[in-house]
Amino acid sequence: MSTAMTTVYLPDSEPRPEVSKLAPSPGSLAGLRVGVLDNGKPNAGFVLAYAAKQLAAETGAEVTLVTKKGPFGMSANAAIPMARDIFSRLLDETDIVLTGMADCGSCTAYSVSDAIELEKAGKPAVVVTTTRFEPIAVTLSASFGLADVRKLVLPHPVGGTDEPTLQEWIDEATGRVVSLLTTGA
Amino acid sequence: MTVTYLPDQAELPDESPEAMFDLLDSRGLGDGLPVIPPTAARVEAMLQYATGDPDEVLFTLQPRSGVLTRRIAAINAVLAGCPPATFPVVLTALRALASPEMNLRGVNATTHLVAPLILVHGAVAEEAGFTGGVGCFGPGNRANATVGRAVRLTMLHVAGAKPGFGDAATHGQPAKYTFCAAENLAESPWGSFARSRGVTAPSAVTVHCGEGPHNVHDAEAAGDPQLILDKIASAMTSLGMNNAPISQGEFFIILGPEHAASMAQRAMSRDDVSSYLFDRARMPASVFRRHFEELAWARWMHTVPDDHSLPMTGEPGNIRVVVAGGPGKHSLVVPSWGMTRSVTLPVEG
Repeated sequence: MSTAMTTVYLPDSEPRPEVSKLAPSPGSLAGLRVGVLDNGKPNAGFVLAYAAKQLAAETGAEVTLVTKKGPFGMSANAAIPMARDIFSRLLDETDIVLTGMADCGSCTAYSVSDAIELEKAGKPAVVVTTTRFEPIAVTLSASFGLADVRKLVLPHPVGGTDEPTLQEWIDEATGRVVSLLTTGA
Repeated sequence: MTVTYLPDQAELPDESPEAMFDLLDSRGLGDGLPVIPPTAARVEAMLQYATGDPDEVLFTLQPRSGVLTRRIAAINAVLAGCPPATFPVVLTALRALASPEMNLRGVNATTHLVAPLILVHGAVAEEAGFTGGVGCFGPGNRANATVGRAVRLTMLHVAGAKPGFGDAATHGQPAKYTFCAAENLAESPWGSFARSRGVTAPSAVTVHCGEGPHNVHDAEAAGDPQLILDKIASAMTSLGMNNAPISQGEFFIILGPEHAASMAQRAMSRDDVSSYLFDRARMPASVFRRHFEELAWARWMHTVPDDHSLPMTGEPGNIRVVVAGGPGKHSLVVPSWGMTRSVTLPVEG
């Protein structure tokens, strides 16, 4: 039998994403304008609005824009990017953004990529995901060229969980949101 | 300047399929089935059917942003067992998947079980050994089986559609292994589907990202197209598919040649079939609204009162009619993932 080795090609080419960085993190959130970008997933609107309200109460920030991601703030499927007019409004009317829910596959992909667009434009953005979709959010953040995307991980599932429980989860997580926005971690 | 990429190589103790299978396994690669080792000679044989710089970066595939070159596609085609003559179809299907309207980032990442349906039209189907006849979705035909598999391997290896990472599909599905057939042009009463979409090249490929096929059997209609189409419409009318809340979602209706002949004999055109199904595949607006919090609908659909019926898709043109399959009174309904549009391209290496 021959002992010669055989050379074969490997089938997994390298990723070449457009690499970007987080926006600078503000030292304090006092007086900053908070935006909510809601992708319409079940309970996303409730979770994000409540999280923004608690964040504002804790830090002296102010909630200035709550919107869905379709044109004119209309609802849109979560598996597409935010509408361009909504992106412009977030740039004009907010300083920091909470977005989600990243609790499925395609909605995680587009919540993460929306957050990256905002970070590139100088707006710190937190993606709200759940324990069961955190691995996907981590993989996709790296795939899209910004592994450090600010991610708030809530218990799973958000869709179908009652509002008092969701409020408890967010109350416990507000300090984490502050840390993500002010330090990036 | 042309941007290029050269793939990595590895040493195997021998050229056996087992050695390659183990190598992929150890790296978390592959689709779980045995493969052919992509030696330089085998990859070269594949590239003989392509034109242009084999190492030119053609595009990246989402969500991983992996670079796609002709050589990388050829490596995956060798792994899959593709006959080299089918390679231009693999490349064309990958080009279609990289088209912006395909939304491959969403298609691969979603929890939905979506898989790309690859349809092969025209001369290449016969030349490269594809079948659009009996049992065309398998098993058995090498070109059909391996081309669908080569596309899936490229999704896994380049696009990063690895279950639990870049592919969140809750269940996955068998069509994610391979899902490819030729159009049955010889028995299509309406000529080539690609031509009906304005692609006049001798060979073309269509890719539609949706569910697996749902069968519709009708032997009772005695050739009455209305009865056949009403059954197909009933298979299209369901709250359990993404077409219901997403009006841009397409349906691919794969008509068996006998059903297609029944329609053509009553002077129905391809567009007539779409229009009839658009008219019949409907539910009350109130039912859609009760079941979906978010409706990605055409604007006009939101203004329809609750007691009126609404179609399962936003316009008749979203119902794509293709003839494939062999003898028998069967047709297939392939619903859409939703936030994606099918693409038909001329075959190019």
